Amino acid sequence: MGHVATPYLLLVPTIIAIVALLGYPIVNLVELSFQQYGLGQLITHHGVYIGLANYSSILSDPLFWNTLWRTLVFTAANVGLTMVLGMLIALLLVRVSTWVRLLLTGALVLAWSMPPVVAVQVWNWMTNLQNGVLNYTLTQLGIGNYFQHNWYASTASQYAMVTSLIVWGGLPFVVITVYASLSQVPHELVEAAQIDGARAWRILKDVTLPVVKPILLILTSLSIIWDFGVFTQPYLLIGPGQQSPDNYLMSTYLYIEGYAQTDYGKGAAISILMLAIVAVLSIFYVRAMLRTGDE
Amino acid sequence: MRYRALAALGAALTLGFGVATASTAAAAGNTLTVWLQVDAQNGWPNLVAAANNAFTANHPGWTVNVDYQQWSDHLTKFDATIAGNDTPDVIEMGNTEMTKYMAEGAFANLAQYKSEFANHSSWLQGLTESATYNKTLFGVPYYAGSRVITYRSDLFAKAHIKKLPNSLAAFEADMLKIGAMEKKNKGFSPLYVGGEDWYTALSFVFDYGGQIASYEHGHWVGELDSKKSLQGLTAFQTFFNDTQSKSTAKLDGTSPFPYTVFSQGKTAANYGPAWYTCCTTAKGGPNYTKVTKQFVMPSHTKGEAMPGFLGGSDLAIPAQSSQQSAAAAWIADFTNTQSEQGLQAKGNIPNATNLLSNSVNDKAAARSWFVPQAKNWVNVENGNILKTMLGQMLSGQLTVKQAATLASDNIAQTLNSPS
Amino acid sequence: MTTKRSRRVGWNIVGLALFVVIAFPTYWMISTAFKPDNKIYGFTPTFFPTHPTLQHFSDAISRPYFWTDVKNSLIVVLSTVVIALFLSFFAAVALAKYRFTGRKLFIVLVIGIQMLPQTGLIIPIYVVLGRYHLVNTLFGLILVYLTFSLPFCVWTLRGFMIGIPKELEEAAMVDGSTRVGAFVRILLPLVAPGLVATSVFAFITSWNEFIFANTIMSGGTKQTITVWLSLFTGGARAVDWGALMAASTLISIPVVIFFLFVQRRIAFGLTAGAVRG
Repeated sequence: MGHVATPYLLLVPTIIAIVALLGYPIVNLVELSFQQYGLGQLITHHGVYIGLANYSSILSDPLFWNTLWRTLVFTAANVGLTMVLGMLIALLLVRVSTWVRLLLTGALVLAWSMPPVVAVQVWNWMTNLQNGVLNYTLTQLGIGNYFQHNWYASTASQYAMVTSLIVWGGLPFVVITVYASLSQVPHELVEAAQIDGARAWRILKDVTLPVVKPILLILTSLSIIWDFGVFTQPYLLIGPGQQSPDNYLMSTYLYIEGYAQTDYGKGAAISILMLAIVAVLSIFYVRAMLRTGDE
Repeated sequence: MRYRALAALGAALTLGFGVATASTAAAAGNTLTVWLQVDAQNGWPNLVAAANNAFTANHPGWTVNVDYQQWSDHLTKFDATIAGNDTPDVIEMGNTEMTKYMAEGAFANLAQYKSEFANHSSWLQGLTESATYNKTLFGVPYYAGSRVITYRSDLFAKAHIKKLPNSLAAFEADMLKIGAMEKKNKGFSPLYVGGEDWYTALSFVFDYGGQIASYEHGHWVGELDSKKSLQGLTAFQTFFNDTQSKSTAKLDGTSPFPYTVFSQGKTAANYGPAWYTCCTTAKGGPNYTKVTKQFVMPSHTKGEAMPGFLGGSDLAIPAQSSQQSAAAAWIADFTNTQSEQGLQAKGNIPNATNLLSNSVNDKAAARSWFVPQAKNWVNVENGNILKTMLGQMLSGQLTVKQAATLASDNIAQTLNSPS
Repeated sequence: MTTKRSRRVGWNIVGLALFVVIAFPTYWMISTAFKPDNKIYGFTPTFFPTHPTLQHFSDAISRPYFWTDVKNSLIVVLSTVVIALFLSFFAAVALAKYRFTGRKLFIVLVIGIQMLPQTGLIIPIYVVLGRYHLVNTLFGLILVYLTFSLPFCVWTLRGFMIGIPKELEEAAMVDGSTRVGAFVRILLPLVAPGLVATSVFAFITSWNEFIFANTIMSGGTKQTITVWLSLFTGGARAVDWGALMAASTLISIPVVIFFLFVQRRIAFGLTAGAVRG
């Protein structure tokens, strides 16, 4: 009785919550992408259908491709650094004394709990032109003359700062999760391999990695999705007043060219394109996750 | 079965909770929603309170809700309210932001309320123009700001500068003198200005007779690469190199603020709004209050003032508002003579000529420049086109001509785009 | 044994160096909050606050709407966490324990939602909330946060449930409970770590969120604490770095407390769920 209906009933509250809020917006977003929808249309609540014109103008604009390229490089750098450093630190946690492990974990938890908007301000302060501790320390250490060095003077430098901020904030999640996963690696196997004289790298590859692989898959795909679309940190750290075609990421490009310029049709088209791109980027990982979910 | 009861209970709770929190938002009686910038909250909250009191005294049963906004995102928030049909009743708009919204009919026609506003027959021309479109009045001038030089009179005295400079050349010479005198002071620049501070840079352009864009034959043409504009930009570049350290080429003057540098003793002059004097003595720093003075920045033409950017804000009533006459009454209370004089005391320029005094600030407003009255001007600002141009040219990435041509084309494209 | 010992010392040194680098930003934030102004703005940064002051904290707290906004944030965040736990538990049961048409579709939906560029949805969501008269209400914001947290929560919990052996369920059903009743009684305690992981994620997502809170809430009395913080840097006048750092420290505290509580559970939880999932 109601046996077949049960799973659907269980899902209904969640589906209602999601569809109630996102149903119209997603449909609307697709609709908007085919319309000319500027401030005038916003006021009258009526758009003008222009077919694929938004898409063709975006895709034929070199700015889109430059921004996409920059975002891909940025995503690769951030995901790569976060995952590799995260893995290394997790491996380190296994090898240090308990008190060091506690200290390090504590530092990571504190980093994890700092809200991004707060972290941006702390970074702003540390890299401040006049009073920043970074400039002072680098100069004192003799690494160079960083007196009143402007860390936001070039796109590369800006993104070095943003990457350091995002990696710092993303490491804790990866480290703590991988570390917990490492505890599932069978000790006997590791010891046996060590007795056999296998080198650390070999042990890592053959014994550790297979156990940790599922979690690495999940973390990597989540990181790709999050880092591709990250907005708050690049927008606030580089500054709303410093956003320009020279340093757009897809998310800030969307925000400025779509929203700030009140061209909502274009913004919607960019959103759809972003969705398609990130879906393609993560398809490998998502497929793997789906496969492991099927019994 | 038991689970289903649970699920039903959960849904009911959620719904009930939702209705409860939602309905507490619905106010009893009439509410007037006002959006002012956070500058009012920090600078003159007493004037806001006075206006609220005056309004509620005349409108019993009404409450005034003032929400403070930030410059960087208040327009996006405003757009969201337009889409959602719940705009505020009064909104403060920067004078450069008005045209786009006026052109699209976002604001209510204020002709019928004009007589209610104090000093309306002598409003500052610059502000009135920014609030008028197609000969229709859509906004009320709130306050203006021009630019002056705020300087350290003790350093000027130490450099034996007896008379204040009356030409740009004399001013540059004075700056070089002070620079040489303070050579040992690490990080000191005679005048501090961010390279990308386009309000300053474009004053030079207008001083040489150039302009940003002109409207010809039904479309906008970029003018930053015209001969006169290039002269102005080159003059600015020279001035910048004479008075700045290279590191400020890509700064736009908001981080750090020029007065912060002033308060640390690392500069002898700032070019900016008159209210900079509020903050030239920082917490925990040396006290410069007695030696902080102002004068009008000289033009390259001897005896004249350099045109200053006439900044300012207007107050508008969104067309969607259903409480327009109440909104107009509140604006009248907030911009009455007493309120305007209060704003003047805080270093702003009041909205009417009969209220102007002989202060340096008010005198500087005599020669001013303004941005093109184009629907899409706000997109030029949001796209940071001018800042990018200045950053490129001052950091040596591009020559003045290259950067200006690029920006000029960009500006024309943005101003002419159909949205 | 000496090589092992010296190796360990070597690793410890590396660990400590990392500790200093990772903990530094947090340290800098807190120490700046306690430094008097002349030490903050001096040209030479001081590394240790020798004359600590509480002035910045009182400045920060006395800014308009501090306590109101803390209250708003707490209400929104705790509601989101509770409701998300409730809804995702049942949805996860459905996904993990039943076979039904549309199951794969729902999974794709769940993953797909996380890929949506949130900035693109700001105005459409605002319009929808407007239709329900939920703009500038705490419940409206809770609904938004729920929608963005549910997918991850459902997915995580599902991972946990898959690992629970069938025998346990069957044993419970023999006692006469329905299949679903068995789930609730048996699964709930067993997926406790998963519930913890889920609640942490919902907590962080909601506490830290800025874009939607900023747009949906028009200001002052209704805004959340993250929007309140952004006003420190929003105006044209100078940033009071001391007060800003003090405010930042205060805002981070609830999250730290929550974390210290559940940290070990999350890690175990997430891994266990994932490995089986």
